[in-house]
Amino acid sequence: MQIAAIRSFAFVLASVLLMIAPAHASEKILDIKTVTSPGGITAWLVEDHNVPVIAVEFGFRGAGTVNDPADKQGLIRLLSNTLDEGAGAMDAQAFQKELADRAISLSFGASRDHFTGALKTLRAEKDKAFELLALALTQPRFDAEAVERMRAANIARIRESLSDPDWIATRLLYASAFSGHAYARNSGGTLSGLAKITPDDLRAAHKTLLGRHALMIGVAGDITAAELAPLLDRVFGAMPVVTPPAAPAETQITGAQDIRVYDKMLPQSAIQVIQPGIKRADPAYAAAEVVNFTLGGSGFGARLMESVREKRGLSYGISSGFLHLDKADGLMISTSTKNANVAQVIDLIRQELRDVSKNPITAQELKNAQTYLTGALPLSLTSTNAIAGLLLSLQEDGLPITALEDRDAKLRALSLQDVNAMAARLLRPDDLRIVVVGQPRDLKNATVVKDLPDVE
Amino acid sequence: MRSFRLFLLFIILCAPLQARAGVFDAQSFTLQNGLQVVVIPNHRAPVATHMVWYRVGAADEAPGQSGVAHFLEHLMFKGSGDLAPGEFSRRVRAMAGQDNAFTSRDYTAYFQSIPVEHLQTVMRMEAQRMRGLYPPLKEVESERQVILEERMQRTENDPQARLAEEMDAALFVNHPYAKPVIGWRQEMEQLTWPQAKAFYDIWYAPNNAILVISGAVDAAQVQQWAQEIYGPLKPEIIPARNWPRVPALEARKTVTLRDDSNRQPMVQIAFRVPGFRQDKKAALALEVLADILGNGPSARLYRHLVSEQKVAVDAGISFRKESWDEGDVTLYAAPANLTPPEQVITALEMELRAIIEQGVSTDEVAQSIKRLQAQAVYARDSLAGPAMIVGQALITGASLEDVETWPQAIAAVTADDVQAAANAYLNPDHMRGRAPVVGLLPEAEGE
Repeated sequence: MQIAAIRSFAFVLASVLLMIAPAHASEKILDIKTVTSPGGITAWLVEDHNVPVIAVEFGFRGAGTVNDPADKQGLIRLLSNTLDEGAGAMDAQAFQKELADRAISLSFGASRDHFTGALKTLRAEKDKAFELLALALTQPRFDAEAVERMRAANIARIRESLSDPDWIATRLLYASAFSGHAYARNSGGTLSGLAKITPDDLRAAHKTLLGRHALMIGVAGDITAAELAPLLDRVFGAMPVVTPPAAPAETQITGAQDIRVYDKMLPQSAIQVIQPGIKRADPAYAAAEVVNFTLGGSGFGARLMESVREKRGLSYGISSGFLHLDKADGLMISTSTKNANVAQVIDLIRQELRDVSKNPITAQELKNAQTYLTGALPLSLTSTNAIAGLLLSLQEDGLPITALEDRDAKLRALSLQDVNAMAARLLRPDDLRIVVVGQPRDLKNATVVKDLPDVE
Repeated sequence: MRSFRLFLLFIILCAPLQARAGVFDAQSFTLQNGLQVVVIPNHRAPVATHMVWYRVGAADEAPGQSGVAHFLEHLMFKGSGDLAPGEFSRRVRAMAGQDNAFTSRDYTAYFQSIPVEHLQTVMRMEAQRMRGLYPPLKEVESERQVILEERMQRTENDPQARLAEEMDAALFVNHPYAKPVIGWRQEMEQLTWPQAKAFYDIWYAPNNAILVISGAVDAAQVQQWAQEIYGPLKPEIIPARNWPRVPALEARKTVTLRDDSNRQPMVQIAFRVPGFRQDKKAALALEVLADILGNGPSARLYRHLVSEQKVAVDAGISFRKESWDEGDVTLYAAPANLTPPEQVITALEMELRAIIEQGVSTDEVAQSIKRLQAQAVYARDSLAGPAMIVGQALITGASLEDVETWPQAIAAVTADDVQAAANAYLNPDHMRGRAPVVGLLPEAEGE
């Protein structure tokens, strides 16, 4: 369909994860069960028999792109792209045809911290779907043809991304905010790194990183606990126990008013801002969610959106959101504006961050945030894979099975004092790290950057 | 590739769809003022999606006012009924809901997803802005800047989007689909409130709209509320759509966009084809054809060009079939390193010739039908998705019956139908007035 023009993008994207349901204090928001197989594999399950669809989302803790060697960046990404390119007796064509003919979707991915996978199938094809997943996980082939093809696809992806100002801005932001740390590297690989990776590198990474003891599994849809238990063993039971890789060190984001400009001939500049964030596990995290919602997390109605778009027409959108990595946390703001307005928009961002001390979050703003953050979860849990994805993300964040109810209770209990104390603690208008991609005018104290780190 | 993939996803998502009694078991009725109402029950969670679709889009704009349909869509949030500018979305957010709107060539739609207890409230808000819109002048001025920022972000900053815009201009000669929905920049800069208001007054009326509600609702209850809330709105005389037609075009065109920083070449070849409203049988056959050619790594285009010939690193197809007037089928590929773009276009054309000359196998058709029918089941696994599918199908001229029985209709497509459709509409050698447009986004020189 040709939706060529949508009123606002950012909000829809920002609201996908982690919002919560209108629960009465003791009522369960989502009926999550843990299922442990005879072989000792545990999954979180939400049964839902409305539609004959089953979704599985799983991850291997610590097996993300931080494990890329510095000179072979892209190894883990390439592993995720080749794991479903042939397994057992089936080459890539045969394996992909088997998936397509049965309308099974299977994909793997990698964040900086974790290696992940997603399976979606009709109930009628459940046994075959789990069998194909097991094959991919335990007997991947890494045939030279498939590795070359995926290498070429990744190189093309990077080259294509070089036309995308947001991608460039994100690249620069990670490179500068995490300078010297594994998080600074390009999780999608570098052109030179990808060129060096061999099928044996992939085999070694598969063998040493993907082990059953690092598993996190979320399952949702038309399957019972009794049906799931034996399938867990069939899929994951044959995986080895591996020694977890050494985790990277904890790191802090610092800003100190660093502004970098990457010159690119475009009519409009992409702007990304990061400052230190807060851990998901922080006892006061609920207050931080309200601060983010009020500042820039809610789309229309958020202070940044009202100031930059609604009052002044300076941008199509501006939003803020938390970045949570295992060893670092940030608060990010992203927007875009025509080159002539960049300095003004950056000033407005600083101003809104400072303003919270003079114009504290109001009772109405707190109430709106509480209503939305506790009330909108069901909207993001109306598909089977969204539910499975939520189950995985809770586990990735190390949260207990009661996390949704806990969060609900904490949000409801917040006072104005709690959220304004958090605003004072969290927001750092004088400690921002800013990246601009475009040709901004009249921007003071900016460093011009010529090179994109970890791309070539 | 990113944008192409997104596009494909929409196509798949929007394939209307499978068997119980119907795909969605939706119910439909029409109010006396002409408003059609469709209810899609889904009791999975205590939520609902409420959408109003207007049968008016960018293709209905007066010459010189490109972008006014979309500008109006933005202004619909700037003061209506008893709501101050910006209040509509803030109110929806305060009831733990989400809202948005979108404009296409053929239609404009507004939606809210909310906890179901607020359904009546959003119905009232939406009904109020169907006839009572009054944005203050300063809001109009600042919103014009917002749509220009949107154009920069979504089109001018993206070489693939710029190419797509100019390919449409070449493919839909003499037809309003030649214009971008967002508008041409120099016309957007001149858009005024009186122009938007005139457009609104002409086209926004209950008898030119479809209301679609999906979620934890009861059809009888919705009917009562719709009657009470939308029923009092007066119908209007809606002008007929007399769009000029694309003439017979025999000259094959190549549209080349050179972007100084482009590092990854892309190629496309686009054909103008009938949509569902022009020729149901052909559109269904093209749907199967698009699946056989382009649905993923085991489909013909990827298998032949990427896995076997190694002339491309990605290849696929898009089919814009749900449009009021004729749509297009576009084959695309990302050439492999050092492969000349023209060679990749030739390889794409060879795939079409192979089907025109040798046809497709009955096995391929059977597998394709099975996959497409599975998509119908997956489509139900969503709250807003079914409302999108039904709304889009109905507003572009299909019936609810067409949507509900789509799996049976697609199952009737034969290998001969597929071959005939390819021969008639995707023939690179015999134009029959439908000369294709080739799009090239070459790698910047000196890289």
